Amino acid sequence: MTSPTFADAARDQILGSIRAHLAASASPAPVPPVPRPLSPPDGASNLLDRFTSQLEAVGAQWTLVRGEVEAARALRRILADAGAKRVAGSDATLVARLLPERLTDLSRDELFSCDAGVTTAQWGIAETGTLVLESARERSRLASLVPPVHVALLSTGAIVASLGDALARLDVASHAITLITGPSRTSDIELTLVVGVHGPQTVHVLLLEEGE
Amino acid sequence: MTFEADARAALSDVQLRGALRQAATLFAEKRRAAMATAPDWEGARDRARAIKDETLLHLDRYLEQFTANAERAGARTHWARDDAEACEIIGRIADQRGARTIVKSKSMATEEIHLNTALAGRGIEPIETDLGEYIIQLAGETPSHIVAPAIHKTRGQIAALFAEKLGIAPSDDAAALTAAARQALRRRFAEADLGISGVNFAVAETGTILILENEGNARLTTSLPHTHIALMGIEKVIPRFADLEVFLQLLPRSGTGQVLTAYQSLLTGVKRHPDDEGPDELHIVLLDNGRSRMLRAPVTRQSLACIRCGACLNVCPVYRQIGGHAYGSVYPGPIGAILTPQLIGIERAAHLPYASSLCGACRDVCPVKIDIPAVLLHLRAEAIAQRAGTSRFFERRAFRAYAAVMARPRLYEWVMRVARALHFTPPLRAWTKWRDLRPLAPRSFREEWRAGLGRETDPWSPL
Repeated sequence: MTSPTFADAARDQILGSIRAHLAASASPAPVPPVPRPLSPPDGASNLLDRFTSQLEAVGAQWTLVRGEVEAARALRRILADAGAKRVAGSDATLVARLLPERLTDLSRDELFSCDAGVTTAQWGIAETGTLVLESARERSRLASLVPPVHVALLSTGAIVASLGDALARLDVASHAITLITGPSRTSDIELTLVVGVHGPQTVHVLLLEEGE
Repeated sequence: MTFEADARAALSDVQLRGALRQAATLFAEKRRAAMATAPDWEGARDRARAIKDETLLHLDRYLEQFTANAERAGARTHWARDDAEACEIIGRIADQRGARTIVKSKSMATEEIHLNTALAGRGIEPIETDLGEYIIQLAGETPSHIVAPAIHKTRGQIAALFAEKLGIAPSDDAAALTAAARQALRRRFAEADLGISGVNFAVAETGTILILENEGNARLTTSLPHTHIALMGIEKVIPRFADLEVFLQLLPRSGTGQVLTAYQSLLTGVKRHPDDEGPDELHIVLLDNGRSRMLRAPVTRQSLACIRCGACLNVCPVYRQIGGHAYGSVYPGPIGAILTPQLIGIERAAHLPYASSLCGACRDVCPVKIDIPAVLLHLRAEAIAQRAGTSRFFERRAFRAYAAVMARPRLYEWVMRVARALHFTPPLRAWTKWRDLRPLAPRSFREEWRAGLGRETDPWSPL
């Protein structure tokens, strides 16, 4: 183990070096915080349109449904179309209601053999087509990452206009917050775009409108 | 080999220059298109720079705040004065955890400290999981671009490499090659007991580290193994959580020309409950390695505002011709030419500040408005100040004489007339060894002008 005195010595020496080198130059006035420009007031339908067009732009798919009965039907169709048999689910109650046979509490090896993962998303960002997943709300970190297909359930009421709006709403009690914009991608071989390198190849957002 | 010889070798590599031209053009196009989608690009650049300046002027305070908040959330923080100390800290954690398979996501800081070599010395070399990094690790090479590390390799070379190392059927298809890498790396992810990543931003206010990526390998690296080690330069800290917005607008657009990369992981300490997902331990290693020295003056301090987007590489007329390897520096291109001499000492990298035409394209694209040419000139002055002896004496005399002639038009004209009459070639063998010097024209521009050049082509005369 590192002896505390040894570790403290490195810390003190680095902070001391920072202070000594900064002391050599005059300290100007602190930067005044610039207010973030407010997002234009958007109707809910406008936000939904922008969100879905951005989803398409980044290569994600989406389906809009009204109510849980329709949602359950759509979810089964999406999974069947993807040929998914073993489906990992997050621990969200909505996922349990829509798909009671989903697999939870999987080992790493079991997770790697799943065909799809189903989670909810806490927020959607219209300007970028981004999903926000918070660990404090749901165990969705691995189900959204390891299987080749990720289906995310998102309430249309949880779509915000901009990245800044989402950051302001995030639950920082989460030890892990993940922002997801489209499928996993790489251009490392001759700059040719390939989707589905380490994460999901398919991201399907199932948008739930409130009410019947 | 010297920089000049390496650069000449790169210049005669037709395939490399074709790949570089293609990459630079594509990145520049995508960057311009992505920039246009930002609500206020210039405003974002100014704000980002102001945030960086504010942070750097109080770096001690923000680092203390960051480490206190990260520890409160369950992370362990470690301080490393130099590369050897950082490797020692990471190596010791790996040893103590009995790590057998280490997976690693892309991090320039780990390249800077030569972590893989250090860990190989302990018998546990990490597996690079970013596709580009994986390719060059298999090939035994080093990255040639900050954002696209394997940009210098062709599909054919990668196909041959994978056929040899992974035992797959040779394929010319990028998707098939990518799928083969995914399969090979999935096995390693399934058994990995330690993950190592870099850090793009560290938020003082919350103790959060943020990692950007496109492939998902950084998410796997930071969520599957029991232990996660994140290495960050001390300049990565920013004050507030809300500051992330402006940096997330700038970094992907400048780096890959994307509005946003596929994934951002915002990690604050470790899981709160044993049933939660994610590592049990998060170790954050804070690396100085020459950075605190750069705080001493505004001209050098601005180098620490860099967010490692790579935009300056793609527009640099030198990088676009020679690529990353010829620089002989972990950080290539214009940003490498100012970072490396400051990190490892000007005496060990005196050639780098000269690997530039000072055209300023890097300054124009920099998302945090680093005046790279100003830093290059400052470092050239340092390089010369270090040099003692007669060469410096004669160089100073020669430049003084040159300045005297250039400041006096009549004297200049007379000197040039004599030089032309004598077919004089200046004694610049060292300079012309790597450059072309055009012979003097038979008549000077002024002589041509007086002989009627101006009257023939007067651009101001009415048609």
